[in-house]
Amino acid sequence: MERDSKKEARNYVWEGAIPLQIHLHQSEVTTLPSPPPALILAPRIGYLPLLVPQVKPFFSSALPPGVDTVWFDYKGLPLKWYIPTGVLFDLLCAEPERPWNLTVHFRGYPANILTPCENEDSVKWSYINSLKEAAYIFHGNCKNVMNMSQADQFELWQSVMNGNLESYLRVSSKLKFGIFGDTFSLRLNSSSVKSRERAELDAAGTVTSGRIPVRLYVWSIQEDFDNLEDAPSFDSWDKISYINRPAEIREEGKCFSLGDAMKMLLPEIFGDKASASGDISKTEVEDYLKLNPEEASNIEGTKVMAESKDVESCNLSKSAEIKLLRIQGIEPKLEIPFTWLANNLMNPDHFLHICVYVKVPELTTI
Amino acid sequence: MASESQANAARKVVVHLRATGDAPILKQSKFKIGGTDKFAKVIDFLRRQLHRETLFVYINSAFSPNPDELVNDLYNNFGFDGKLVVNYASSMAWG
Repeated sequence: MERDSKKEARNYVWEGAIPLQIHLHQSEVTTLPSPPPALILAPRIGYLPLLVPQVKPFFSSALPPGVDTVWFDYKGLPLKWYIPTGVLFDLLCAEPERPWNLTVHFRGYPANILTPCENEDSVKWSYINSLKEAAYIFHGNCKNVMNMSQADQFELWQSVMNGNLESYLRVSSKLKFGIFGDTFSLRLNSSSVKSRERAELDAAGTVTSGRIPVRLYVWSIQEDFDNLEDAPSFDSWDKISYINRPAEIREEGKCFSLGDAMKMLLPEIFGDKASASGDISKTEVEDYLKLNPEEASNIEGTKVMAESKDVESCNLSKSAEIKLLRIQGIEPKLEIPFTWLANNLMNPDHFLHICVYVKVPELTTI
Repeated sequence: MASESQANAARKVVVHLRATGDAPILKQSKFKIGGTDKFAKVIDFLRRQLHRETLFVYINSAFSPNPDELVNDLYNNFGFDGKLVVNYASSMAWG
């Protein structure tokens, strides 16, 4: 039963797609009338360059002569191709736009902003290295990924490109990432001391690791806004802090929640001195999880937020406030167990990609 | 908090550069780099030192991080003995 529900969530992630309306940049239009936009469904777990074979036929006849180096932009911001498409959408479209209007360019690659992407192999290379990095965080080395056979590596990549979860699970099980143990629920289920001890042993064992690979995309905003559609838009990647820190599950005698993880991952924003040095005491955890009903009613971000009377916009500290937190298009509550998120909403590179908008009173450097 | 983040920003990370395969060895192999710099800065530095456009750069002989990753994050996640080990090669060393 539990296994089925787990698979169900992952199925949703793998089947998730964003409708794109892709326009050819005006400077590259050589025909009259200009070609109509291309409508393409882009998998969330995919990468933009992988869409090129689909996109190209729409525009190839309109292009000026020259060599194609394809890149995309959204409202003038060149899109980083190594970020999964779903993450780009969650991050850049505060108020989800459907279809998502992107512009494609075949010339003038902005090499000062984007790392080169020659073809599918560049994307595969980036994916495999991301997977290796995750394995390193999880196991302390990446032997399992490096020792993969060519056939397995090929199948793994094909499964990511084609969104084939069955085949992905078959190959990736060999990498022994295991499932992050939820020690809290293990404890709840075990009444006797003996089974409790066993649960803790399992948690400390080799299969379950306490380190969850996380990539954070943090946008610190000074301006206040009540509706997400009023959120200022991005004009530069410099405004987004790209942070890579593993979340370390700690035994606190309570469930390790998303809120706990955020405080641990971003001590610069939410922590005080104690947590900045990597030490969160029980009282602090309880303290910041306290409801702040006034704040909660101030925010009307999305339907979910508005309808919920819970801690949707709980103040993690008196100064900083989460305006938006999105993983795989979902805005999870801060009380949700972090291990559930990691097990179900991670990308095929075994990273949990989290997009966060934080309202900060003053400029905080991360 | 302000002073802490300033201290963090000022922190330097010792990067140990190691040649792999037939890549030339640098005269000076240890460098200090700002923790808030991106890994791209390390790659650019190596490109300039070695006068090579194509270069494969790894952490701990294991993986190539994304050039956008911060040196601080890489050091905290993968550094040991007070340094971050960066390997470089002129051809792909670790698929």
